[in-house]
Amino acid sequence: MNWGYGSDAVQFAVLSAVAISCGLIGPFLVLKRMAMFANALSHTILLGIAGAFLLTSSLWGGGLFDLSTLLIGAFLAALLTAFLTESLVRFFRLQEDASVGLVFTALFALGIAVVTLFMRDVHLGLEAVMGNADALQLSDLKLALSFVGLNLAAIALFYRQLQISSFDKSLAKTLGISCGFFHFLLLFLAAATCISAFRAVGVLLVLAFLVGPFLTARLFCHRLPWLLFWSPLIGIFASISGVVLSRYILDVYGLALSTGGLIACLIGLIYGVGSFIKWLLWDRLPSFGK
Amino acid sequence: MMDFFIDPVLRAPMWGCILMCMASSLMGVLIFLRKRSLLSETLSHAAYPGAVIGVAFFALLFPAHEEWSFLAVLGGAFLSSLLGLKALHWLEQKGKVRSDAALCFVLAVFFGVGIVASSAMQAQLPVWHKQVNMLLFGQAATMSDMHIWIYGSLALLVAFFLFLTFRPLQAFLFDRSFALSAKMPVLFLERILFWLLLLSLIVGIRSVGVVLMSGMAIAPAVAARQFSDRLQTIFILAALFGALSGLIGNYLSVIASLPTGPMIVLVGTTFALLSLFFAPKRGLLFRIIRILAFRLRCLEENILKGIWKKGKFSETPSLRLSFVLWRLKRGGWIDKHSNLTNDGRQKAASIVRLHRLWELYLAESLGFQAEKVHRTAEEMEHILTPEMEEKLTRLLADPKQDPHHQPIPERRL
Repeated sequence: MNWGYGSDAVQFAVLSAVAISCGLIGPFLVLKRMAMFANALSHTILLGIAGAFLLTSSLWGGGLFDLSTLLIGAFLAALLTAFLTESLVRFFRLQEDASVGLVFTALFALGIAVVTLFMRDVHLGLEAVMGNADALQLSDLKLALSFVGLNLAAIALFYRQLQISSFDKSLAKTLGISCGFFHFLLLFLAAATCISAFRAVGVLLVLAFLVGPFLTARLFCHRLPWLLFWSPLIGIFASISGVVLSRYILDVYGLALSTGGLIACLIGLIYGVGSFIKWLLWDRLPSFGK
Repeated sequence: MMDFFIDPVLRAPMWGCILMCMASSLMGVLIFLRKRSLLSETLSHAAYPGAVIGVAFFALLFPAHEEWSFLAVLGGAFLSSLLGLKALHWLEQKGKVRSDAALCFVLAVFFGVGIVASSAMQAQLPVWHKQVNMLLFGQAATMSDMHIWIYGSLALLVAFFLFLTFRPLQAFLFDRSFALSAKMPVLFLERILFWLLLLSLIVGIRSVGVVLMSGMAIAPAVAARQFSDRLQTIFILAALFGALSGLIGNYLSVIASLPTGPMIVLVGTTFALLSLFFAPKRGLLFRIIRILAFRLRCLEENILKGIWKKGKFSETPSLRLSFVLWRLKRGGWIDKHSNLTNDGRQKAASIVRLHRLWELYLAESLGFQAEKVHRTAEEMEHILTPEMEEKLTRLLADPKQDPHHQPIPERRL
């Protein structure tokens, strides 16, 4: 197999890793009604990365896509978003939807301005939004895998706490689970996941990975362990078929389509097919009860 | 700066930005008040694939008329964000998906379709692809006078409609069931408003871009809401803030050669943040000042009360207390030796009267135990107004003793 620059094998592996990360974190985000918060995070990581890069490159000459830079960036982004939206709601009495919308658009605009002014890199802004699966390398795979490891470790360690705090906050409180800490942990993991997907699919399409597979999985099962099993699997299926489809179209029609975009379309399509199947096999079926 | 209004190359982008931002901020107020600000985020992203595909069809059909391609952008964007809205409703109602997840999902999938279409254009129609890329972050610089007329009339249409339907709009924004029961055309209005929302969003895309459009809708509404409780004023202020952000943002983007959309949004957010801090009544600064002033009043009244009870001020004052004592002296409540003046004695007596009246009220009318009433009375003595005092006096039949058998001072005349 060819593991070189932009090869199919690397694309398969990186996108599957992204799908696993998102499939693990996404269910918790949707269950805690934080999907639009994930949208906010996906925008603010641009500023996070830019800030972290300016910091690390001046301190120890870190590169833009080093693990340390990205982790600091994710941390910065999560912290900034959470702190600003929360303080707008609490101290300025702004309603929550407006506060989220105001914060992430402002931070994203700031991120674009910083990237254009300080890094003289116009493409980073565009690439951040669109993603570029064809430029993936082996180093990206290492990054993506380490983020999968991070997510897996966090969820394996804190599964109980995360589960309880996403379903029943008051129960979590009586059991002495710190909701604030796990809320922030989840935000940090979401930011890290967005960052790991940043190069492959771009900040907006990662949202499809976070939400879509979970919604599809939830059509058919309702228990959290199974949801956590099926969502990454559906994500992997979508990403592999996306890469195959984009390669096929390139070979047969000579048309280079964005792989990230294709995968997002496929995730939407899978949800559509899933709900159609459910309607066909489940909702129309006469049941004993009725 | 004057060049921007007169110079034929700079004039069009400037007026274009102003008019577009005005229209989107007007509609932004509506979704802000309905607490669905994030809807604008999803709808503007959902407009992207339509705009791209529209331009692609236009390029194939009329390759020679590039200056009319904005019509394709508008039409395509309108259709696809309408489709996005339908998908959203379907997900929420038929799919039983929560609204935030549905918003997020529709946004991502539609944007994915847009990116696929855009990458297809990059390969097939590279010249036109530039136009499509521009829609992401907005670029006002390439607008011409014709664009001003089109966008300007669309902006005016939005403003005119809001002006015409203001009464029913007001009723239905604040109390939907009332508007329904008063036989106002609520459903019709809602439908039209959604169309206008889509229209204002896709009109704004040209200058602000798909990615940041929602910021343009939200920020001026947030800023305007800080200044007023009246719907007319909010609309007018939001339009003003929006127009100003368009003006200044475009100016900054030209002189610093930065993309237009981010600059406009940054200016708009700055307005919003400034108003959140400094707006009279609702701003953070004024709320803090109000709280501090109330605390100061409590402290002053407590000191007066203390002197009234003990006969003199017997502590070595800290810096804060010295300040409060200085204020009391200046207000004529105490004299140089920290003894109460005549006014001060009356004021202190009336505070004690309020305290003891409240204690009695809690004990007699609400059935509290006498030991438990002191703490709330300690707070209520600063809050009770003369009218409440009068009612309490009447209710308790002008009492002379509180539950702890302390005398209640006579009412001050």
